[in-house]
Amino acid sequence: MRDVLRVFGPFSVWFACFSAVYGLHGLVCSERWSAAGLSLWDGRLALLAACIAAVSIQVGVALMLRAPRLAASSGFTQSVSLWLGWAAVVATLWSLFPVVVTSTCT
Amino acid sequence: MTPLRRHRALTRIWASDPGWKGWFTTVNHTDLGRMFMFTAMIFFVVGGILAMLIRAQLATPRSAFMGPEVYAQVFTMHGTIMMFLFAIPLIEGIAIYLLPKMLGARDLAFPRLTAFGYWCYVFGGSMLLFAMLTGLAPDSGWFLYPPLSSTLGSPGINSDFWLIGITFVEISAICAAVEITVTILRFRAPGMSLDKMPIFAWYMLVVALMILTGFPPLILGSVLLELERAFGWPFFQVAEGGDSLLWQHLFWLFGHPEVYIIFLPAAGIISTVLPVMARTTLMGYGWVVAAAVALGVLSFGIWVHHMFTTGIPHMALAFFSAASTLVAVPTAVQIFAWIGTIWKGKPQLKLPMLWILAFFATFVIGGLTGVMLAVVPFNWQAHDTHFVVAHLHYVLIGGFVFPVLAGLYYWLPHLTGRRRFFRLGEPAFWLVFVGFHVTFLAMHWVGLLGQRRRTFTYEHGQGWEAINLISSIGGFITAIGFALVLIDIAINALVTLRGRRNPWGAGTLEWAMPKPVPAYNFASLPPVRGREPLYDDPGLDLRIARGEGYLGDPGDGRRKTLVVDIASGRPEQVVVFPSNTALPIVMALVTGVAFLGVLIKAFWLVPLAVLGVAALAFRWVWSLGTRTDEGLLDAGHGLSLPLASASTRPPGWWGTAFLLVANATFFASLLFGYAFLWTVAPNWPPPAYLEPGLAGPALGLAGIVLAPLGLRLAERLLRAGHAMTPGLAIALTGAAATASAGVLAVLASADPQGHAYDAIVRVIAGYVLIHVVLAAAMSVYLAARRSAGFVSPDRYGEVRIVRLWTDYAAITALLGLAALHLPGALT
Ligand code: HEM
Ligand SMILES: [Cu+2]
Repeated sequence: MRDVLRVFGPFSVWFACFSAVYGLHGLVCSERWSAAGLSLWDGRLALLAACIAAVSIQVGVALMLRAPRLAASSGFTQSVSLWLGWAAVVATLWSLFPVVVTSTCT
Repeated sequence: MTPLRRHRALTRIWASDPGWKGWFTTVNHTDLGRMFMFTAMIFFVVGGILAMLIRAQLATPRSAFMGPEVYAQVFTMHGTIMMFLFAIPLIEGIAIYLLPKMLGARDLAFPRLTAFGYWCYVFGGSMLLFAMLTGLAPDSGWFLYPPLSSTLGSPGINSDFWLIGITFVEISAICAAVEITVTILRFRAPGMSLDKMPIFAWYMLVVALMILTGFPPLILGSVLLELERAFGWPFFQVAEGGDSLLWQHLFWLFGHPEVYIIFLPAAGIISTVLPVMARTTLMGYGWVVAAAVALGVLSFGIWVHHMFTTGIPHMALAFFSAASTLVAVPTAVQIFAWIGTIWKGKPQLKLPMLWILAFFATFVIGGLTGVMLAVVPFNWQAHDTHFVVAHLHYVLIGGFVFPVLAGLYYWLPHLTGRRRFFRLGEPAFWLVFVGFHVTFLAMHWVGLLGQRRRTFTYEHGQGWEAINLISSIGGFITAIGFALVLIDIAINALVTLRGRRNPWGAGTLEWAMPKPVPAYNFASLPPVRGREPLYDDPGLDLRIARGEGYLGDPGDGRRKTLVVDIASGRPEQVVVFPSNTALPIVMALVTGVAFLGVLIKAFWLVPLAVLGVAALAFRWVWSLGTRTDEGLLDAGHGLSLPLASASTRPPGWWGTAFLLVANATFFASLLFGYAFLWTVAPNWPPPAYLEPGLAGPALGLAGIVLAPLGLRLAERLLRAGHAMTPGLAIALTGAAATASAGVLAVLASADPQGHAYDAIVRVIAGYVLIHVVLAAAMSVYLAARRSAGFVSPDRYGEVRIVRLWTDYAAITALLGLAALHLPGALT
C-alpha cells in the first residue's frame, strides 16, 4: 500500500492545498471577512502566507519521498513517485501564481 | 490429470446456471462484463436516435418537428444517456470483462457485487427510459441546474426521474469501482508486481479511485436536490438561505473528473492496443503511469472552469484557468509516448489502428478547442453556444468512442472466439470518420456565429441555415456509419469461423486462454516475470492448460483464486468465491423499491425496502467465511497458503476501506456545502444557530470514545479465547450515546423548510445517525457470528471490518457534531 500512496500522494496534496487556498480566497472575499473587521490587505497577506505554506508542504512532500525510511519496494514506484513529487511542486507554483498577480475580489 | 479433464472439472465448478436462469444468477465476470457492454450499446443506440432527432430539428430554421418542451427532453436525455448510461457503464463492462484476464485471476474480488451493480444499472436506466417513453423525461439539461430543475422551474416529476434514476445508476459505478480497485491491488498473478502490471490496469486503478472520489459529490447534490423537491428543504433557494451555485460546485466537482473518468480508460486501451498494432512495446511505461496518475488527480482541481460566467472574482478565474492549462502536460506526455511507440515499431494499418489514427486526428482538435475555452475572455464569448457542443463531442467521440471501437475490434476475437470475416468495418469506419467531422466542424462554425445550444430553433436569415443543414447531413452519415459498425460486430460475432488463440500476437495474459473463454479463465494461475508474459514465455498458454501454474488442482470443488501482496505480487492467501445466486438481482430490486418510493412520493415504502435490503445484506455476508480453522491449503508449486477469510485483513476489509473512501468524500462534500453556504450564501446567518447545551456534546463525545474502545476490547477478548460480549456491550452503549446526541441536535433545530441552515443540520445529524446505527448493527452481527462459530480466536478478520466501520462512524460523528455546534458556540 505504501507504493500506491507514494504514487498518488503528491498530487493529492496539491489538490488539497489548491482547494484550501481557493476556499480561503472565498472567505476573504465574503462578508464574513469584513464582518470580522479584516481588510482586503489582510486577505492578500493571508493568501500569500497560505501559498508559501502550500509550496513548502509540497516541497516537503517531494523531499520526504526520498527518505530511506519511506522507500518504495521497487525502483519503479520509487522513481515514478519522485517524478510526481517534483511535478506537483511545479503544479503548485503554476496554479497559485494568480495570488501575486491579480486583483483579489473583483 | 489431462488438460481436457481439468477443463471439465473446473467448468463444473465455475459455470453459470444453464439456460435463462443463468442470466439472473450469474456472478461470473465474463458474463457480467458482456451484459454490461451489451446493455451500454443498447443505450448508445437510444442516445444516437435522440441525437438524430436533435439534428432533424436543427436542420432547418423554424422547424415544426418538435416544440420547445419536447426538444428540452430530447437533448437532456441524449446527454444523460450518453454520459451516465452509455459511457460509464461501457467502461465498467470492459474493465469487468478484461481485468481478471489481464491480471491473471479467475474472477473479480467480489463477484456478487458485480452482479448487484449490473442490476442497479439496468433498473435505474429503465426508470429513465420509462420516463422518456411516457413523455415525463427530465428536461433541464444533463447537468440539471437549479432553480430550473427545482420545484420552482420544474414542478412536475421530470427532474425526480433524473435524480432518482441517476443516483441508482451511480451505486452501480461505486460498486464497480470498489471491486476494480481491490482486484487490481490484490487479485493478480503470482509475481506480477506493480511495475509488471499491464498498463491498462494502471489506468483503471486511477479511474476506479477517481470514481470513488468523483461520484460522491454528485450523489450528495442529488440527495440534497431531491430533499428540496420532496420536502421543501431549501438548499438551493436563495430566499431561504440556500444558493443555487452550490449545485454547480457539487455537480462540477463530479463533472470535470467525469470527463477524465471517460477519457482515461480510452487512453488505457490505446496504450494497450497501439504497441501490438506497431509490433513493439509501449515506450515510456513509467512516464505513462505518472501521466495517468497526474491527469487523474489534476482533473479534480479544475471544476470551476465550468463556472467562468457565474461572476466569480478575477483571482478565482485565474486559479482555475491556470490549473486547467496544466492538464495539457500529462496529456502531451501520453501523446508523445504513443507517437514514440509508433516510431519505434512497425505499424500495421489494421482496423483497430484505423480507429486509433482517427482518435489522434480528432482528439488533438478537441484538446485545442479545450485550451481555447480555458482562456477566460474567449470562454465568455463562446459559453453556451454550439462551439461548446462541438468541443465536447470532439473530446467525447474522438477521445472515447473512437478508442473504444479500436478496443472492441481488437478484443472482438477474444469476446466471440471467432475471426472477423465480413469486412463491413472498413466502410463503416470511413462513414463515421467523415460524417463526424462534417457534423461537428460545421457546429464550431455556427457556434462562433452565435447559435446558442439547448435552443429548439432559430430564425431565417441569420446565415446559419446552410451550415446547420450540412451539420445534420453529416450527423446522419455518422449514424449510418455507427449502425454499420454494430451490424459488423453482430454478424462477425454470430456467424464466422473459429479463430486462433492469439490472433494479434499480443503479450498480455488475456490472450493465454482458450476461446471461447472458459468460465474459470485460467486452468492454473501463471507465474509472471515480465510485463508481457506471452512474449517472455511463448509456451505459457499450454503450460497453463496442463496445470503447471498455481491452483491447478480442481480439488474440493470450491471456486478458488490467489490473493497477492500489493507491491510485490507475492502470493499470500487463497480466496474462495461464492457461487451462483439470485441474491444480487433480488437485492437490486428491493433497493429499487426504496428509490421508487421516493420517486412516486410513497414514502412509507422506503423504510420497508431499507429493512428488506438490511435482511438481504445479512444473508449476503453470512454465507462468507468458514466455521472451522482450515489451516494451510496447497496452492501448487509446493506453496501452502491460508484462506483469505481467515486473515486479519480479508478482501472484505479492503473493500470496506475503499467504500469508506467514497463515503468520506461524500461526507467531506457535505461539510464543504455547509461551509460554502456559511461563507457566501446571501441570506446568512440564519435566524438562530443551534444552542449546543451540555448534554448533546457530552453524550456525543462519550459515545465517540466508547464505541472504538469497545471494539478493540472485544478483539482482545476474542483473541484470548474469551467471550466478546463485554466489549461489544461497551461499543453498543457508545453507539447509543452518540445516537442520542444526534437526535438531540435534530430536536433542537428549527423548521428545516424555513432556512437552509436547519435543513443542513438535519442532513449532517442524519448522516451521523445512519452510520452509528449501522456500526451498532454490525456489532450485533459480530456477536451472532461468534456464536455460530464463524469468528474464532484465529479468524477475527470480521472484527477488523466492523472496527473499521465503527472508527469511521466515530470520526464522522466527531466532525459532524463539531460542525453542528461550533457556530452556535462561537456566537
Ligand atoms: C452522431 C453522434 C452525435 C450527434 C450528431 C450528437 C449531437 C448533439 C447535439 C446537436 C447536441 C446539442 C443539443 C443542443 O444543445 O441543442 C448534443 C448534446 C450533447 N451530446 Fe451529443 N451527439 C452525438 C453523440 C454523442 C455522444 C457519443 C456523446 C457522449 C459520449 C454525446 C454527449 C452529449 C452531451 C453530454 C450533450 C449535452 C446535452 C445538454 O446540453 O444537456 N453526444 N449532441
Ligand atoms: Cu471541465
